[in-house]
Formats: sequence, structure tokens, C-alpha cells
Amino acid sequence: MSEIKELLVKTMEKIFKKHITKETVDLIDEGQWADDVWEILKENGLLAACISEKAGGAGGDLEDLFSLLKIGGKYAVPIPLMEYIFSNYILEKFHLAPTDEMITYNLSDTPNCTLSENGEVSGAFPHVAWGRYASNLVTIAKGSGGNYLVKVPLKDALVKEGANLAGEPRDYIKLTAIPILEKSRIIDYEQIEEMILLETAAKCAVIAGTLEKIYESTIEYTKQRQQFGRYIHRFQLIQHHIAQLAGETVIVDSAVDNMMEALVEKRHRHEIPLTRIRIEEAIRTVSASAHQVHGAIGVTYEHNLHHYTRRLWSYRDEGRGHLKWSQKLSRDLLQSNNSMWEFLTTY
Amino acid sequence: MKLPSSQFTKDQEKFRLEVRSFLQKELANRTFETACDSWLSGCNPQFSKKIAEQGWIGLTWPQKYGGQERSAIDRYILTEEFLAIGAPVAAHWIADRQTGPLLLRYGTEEQRSYFLPRITNAECFFAIGLSEPNSGSDLASVSTNAKKVEGGWLVNGAKTWTSNAHDAHFMITLVRTAPYSKESKHSGLSQMIIDLHDKGVSVKPIKYLTGEHHFNEVFFEDVFVPDNRIVGTIGEGWKQGLAELAYERSGPERILSTFPLLEEIYSILKQQQNKEAMNRLTELVAKLWSLRNLSLGVAKMLEQGGEVAVPAALVKAMGTQFEQSIPEMVRLLTETYPTMDAQKMLDRYMAQSILHSPGFTIRGGTTEILYGIIAKDVING
Repeated sequence: MSEIKELLVKTMEKIFKKHITKETVDLIDEGQWADDVWEILKENGLLAACISEKAGGAGGDLEDLFSLLKIGGKYAVPIPLMEYIFSNYILEKFHLAPTDEMITYNLSDTPNCTLSENGEVSGAFPHVAWGRYASNLVTIAKGSGGNYLVKVPLKDALVKEGANLAGEPRDYIKLTAIPILEKSRIIDYEQIEEMILLETAAKCAVIAGTLEKIYESTIEYTKQRQQFGRYIHRFQLIQHHIAQLAGETVIVDSAVDNMMEALVEKRHRHEIPLTRIRIEEAIRTVSASAHQVHGAIGVTYEHNLHHYTRRLWSYRDEGRGHLKWSQKLSRDLLQSNNSMWEFLTTY
Repeated sequence: MKLPSSQFTKDQEKFRLEVRSFLQKELANRTFETACDSWLSGCNPQFSKKIAEQGWIGLTWPQKYGGQERSAIDRYILTEEFLAIGAPVAAHWIADRQTGPLLLRYGTEEQRSYFLPRITNAECFFAIGLSEPNSGSDLASVSTNAKKVEGGWLVNGAKTWTSNAHDAHFMITLVRTAPYSKESKHSGLSQMIIDLHDKGVSVKPIKYLTGEHHFNEVFFEDVFVPDNRIVGTIGEGWKQGLAELAYERSGPERILSTFPLLEEIYSILKQQQNKEAMNRLTELVAKLWSLRNLSLGVAKMLEQGGEVAVPAALVKAMGTQFEQSIPEMVRLLTETYPTMDAQKMLDRYMAQSILHSPGFTIRGGTTEILYGIIAKDVING
């Protein structure tokens, strides 16, 4: 771990530990968000962590970004962390100006948004994360001659509030001839795919953090809860749940680390889909096992387990998930001249 | 539990290709036939001899004992290439994986210089004697005992489920050298090298459910074991044995026993250009990819001298369930009629996988025992 990364991670954990209580996490279900935590992160420069110094950021890299997202996932703070950091990251990547206003994104390989000759976008997006809070949206728009990455102001957009299974804002946004703030050069299919790969990878980091939290708090629960006069971790059947939770958490952690390394070395074309596909099994196993171990309390608002499991059930269907990635990967496998073993051992 | 991520150096990649092309040539020459679970059931001393000629047994050991002083990652690469192609490496597997490292750690100079060069030359194969008719998962309850006599020990008792004891020359045997007590059941156990051709040793086959012979029961009747065949310290056998478990449990053989079947179904689905089935296969590929990362992470940590007992147990628990799941998935992807003597490779690999797979989650520590180890560590850690 680089020294910068270590420092970023430590600072963020410290802030979260100090300021996040059960009440903070509960805000999401009251239709509120943790704006105070957001301000603290901003003051500490953590929101600009992956923006280059040239563009006014702190100059981190993708590994830093993912490490922060993982912690974000772990604490389930009701703030648009991934949306903000990732939007700015891709803006800069495509030579558009990052912003410190609230921003979110919507990416699709089949853009449902058009850009007119005079620089106005029109289109509709069904589930924009934190849309109602955002001043800007980054998206891909189809214009003359090709696709563009565009930054669009949202003040004149039509916003219909909605939520995912975890209660996080996922809003319908309709843009009708909204003048854009900025656009990139024409971007090709490969560049869009690369963006979606990165988005998938970032989401994997968030999910890994969420899984880790569920694992840790379930272990804690088995050490506090007594039944039949014993702590429940003493029961073999509970131990099997614990072992499976540990296994899934470790395997996802290792997958995400390997994925990050592949990203740094630019050999991530298959590593990201593989991680994303594997993560779904972890989501199934961990959420089922954790709830089973918690018993009735886990399915109530008395306990905060549900914030994490509901997030997992939401995140797996946001962006490009298992189904689409399997189809993509299988297309590559069908066309490959390599054996399966060569596929697995060629870097 | 933080494990290092896996990458290989250029030299390691080169070595992989060297091993692969050797094995592909041998396969083309019909020196061996690809089979699932060949690392434990494919005993072929002539083939082991060829591997020895390449310098590939005891790859990591000191040169003075016939080794090559290569890294643990090189050995990892070597073994996974054996597994991927389903090569019959069972004859030397145990000696290479366990006996060598055990003697290098606890053996005497005399034991090392006698056994290790013979192992690297594929002249000397080992078996491991742990389980007994009344001691399975509860290994500490073993009752094969050794009584001190002039110049050595007299061993009486029996071991069971001993893989390849009929082809092996020696067995590292866990015996009780002090009486069993409930309070300290792990003490009083010792490891001895027993010559399987000695007077008083008898090896009886136990037919495996495929009808094949690789399990045995081994009986000892007043077998004399000289003092110089004691490994390490008397009474420390449990601790010494535990140290080897991380190697035994975290290796690629806990993931790849049925890999030839996965390779074959991949090739068939490609021929069929079967999109739907290939979509489903990606799930297995993702599982394998992630398990391999985990196993490699443990290998790296072992090389760095880290504590890996628990991640190793995780690799074994999850990896063997994966190996087991492959035939179950494959039969839903294409039609198959598994028989052991099928002409079609898919059917043959299916038969081998189905019939061998119940053992995967039992041998080397049952999943249940491993789950217990993992959970206890997690709770106490």
C-alpha cells in the first residue's frame, strides 16, 4: 500500500468512526442524507482524492479511489460518495473539468440521450443515483458523428424521486433540450466499454466493503448473543455460517485486490467481469447467512444489518451486472483460440 | 486475513511454458493419458522418473540434496501445470509435497542426505500414515503405538485410507509414544519413517468406489523402527505435522482435481458455439479464477513466512467444493453418459469426476473440521 493511500484510508476511517452512528445510517430511510459528514470529507480533501493536482485535486490514483469506495461501502454512509468521486474521475479522464458541485452519472453502452447541433441534450434516465441532490450529470449523448461524454446541469431537468431497495435516492430524470456545460471529443465504443469496466470495478470495491461489514458485524453478534445458555458461536451449525462468511469475504477481498492490480497493469479486460460475476455468489451467500445467524432482529429496524444487505440486493442490479458480463465474457470465450487453461494463465 | 495478489515474473512465465510444452509432448507421445484426480489416483512410477529427469521433483530443495533451489511459486506453477493437463504424478506427489519439506525442517542430516536425493530421483516414494480404523477426523485419538526398545521402537497398530502405500517405499507414520490422556491428547505423538517392506508390515488393498486400488490398510506387528528413523522430536509429532498442513491444504490440487473436465466442456461448447451454455460456464470460470488467486496468495505468504493456517483451510474448504461442483454443472450444459471406459473424453472425465469427487471434501481434513478451525480462529482473532 502506498503511503498516500494508507493516509487517505486512515483519515477516512477516522472520520467515519467518529461521525457515523446508527442514526446517521438510518437517515437514508427518512429521506435525508449526511450532509455534515459530506462537509467534513470535503474539508479534509478526501472528495478530491482522485483528481490530479493540476485540476485542483489531491493527485491520487485508481487504487486510492477504490480504497476509499471500499470504506464508503463498509460504513453505508448516506452520501453520494461513489457518484461524486467517479463522476469527477471520468470527467478528468476525458479532459473535462471536474467540479466541486454535487454531481452524479449515468452510463450506458446504448446511450438514451441525444445531443443536438446547438449543444442541447434530451433524454430520460430511469434510476439516477442521488439525482435530486445533484447539480450536474455526466452521461453519454449521441450527437452528430458519434457519441460524446457530456456534463449537463440539472437545474432545469424534470426529476421524479425514486429509491432503490436500500432506500437510496434513484431518481427518474428527464432532460428536454438542456444546454450542456461541456462535452468531450467523440468517444468510440472501446472508450465507452472502458468507462463501464471502471464503473463496474468501482462498484465491486463498494460491494467488497459492504460484505466485509456484514461479515464483521455478524461475527460480533455471535459473540454477544446467547441461546441455550451458550454464546451462539459455540454451535457447530453457526460455526459453519461463520466459516462460509469468512470464505466469501476473503475471496472477494482477494478478487478485488487482484482486479485492482490488473487495472494498474492495464490487463483488466477479463479480471473486472470475473470479479463482478464472482461477487454475486458472495452477495447471495453472505446476505442469506448473515440474516440466518441474526434471526428475527436482523430483519427489523432495531438492528442495522438490513442497511447493508439491502444495499447488496440493490447494487447487484445497478450498472452492468452478472447477466450482461457473463454474456460479454462468453462471447470472448467462444471466439478465443486459447484453451481454458491458457485463458486463465495468460496475463 | 489479507493475502498478497498474484502476478508472475517473466522468468516464471517462461518456466510455465517450458513445463507445459514438455507435458504436451509427453501427452502426444502417449506417455500418459489425461485424467481427473490424477494427482492422487494416477500412480505411474515411470512417468515420475521422467519428471525427476527434468529436475522437477524437490524443485525448491537445496542443491546438495538433489533439489534446484527454485522458489515456491515456481513449484506452484509446476504443480498447476501437472493438474491442468491431468498428469499421473501420484507416485512422487506426497514425497515432493510433504516428506521433503518435513525432513528439511525437522529431519537429521543423515535423513536428509539419505532420503532427499532418492526422492528427487524418483527412486523413493512416500505415503502418509495418519487415519486409523478408529481415528478419522479425531486424529489426535490415534492408537498405533511405539514402545521404546534398545536402539529404537517397536510399533504395533494399523493405519487406514493410506493412498498409494502399495507403491510407496516408506511411510511417515504418526504414532503414540506416550499414553493417551484426555487433557493433553496432542502430546505423546511422534512421527516415524517406516519402511513399508520391513518385517511385520503388511499392506492390504481397500477398493475405492471406482473399483480401483489406491487406498490401503497398513498393519504393524512388532515393527522395529531404529532411532535414526524418528523425525524431529519424540512427542512433538502433532506440532510438526500441523506445520505441513498449510502446504497440504492450500495447493492448486484443492481446486483443479477436475479441471480436465472443465477444459473439455469448454472445447465442446466452443465447437457447438453454444452461447447459452457458455454464459453459464462463466460462473465456474469466475469461481476458479478467484479461488486460484486465493491459493496463490497463500503460496506467496508461505514463501514470505507468514501465518496461513486459516486461509489454507479456507482454500481447501472452498476449493474442494468447487472441484466437486464441476461435473454437476457440466451435465447441465451438454448431454453426457459417464462411464469409466468411455471413448468420448467428456464421458470418461465425467465418470472420473463424479466417482472421485466425494473424496475431495473428506481427504486432507473434512469440510466440517475445516469450518470448525476457521470459525474458532475468526472468533478468537
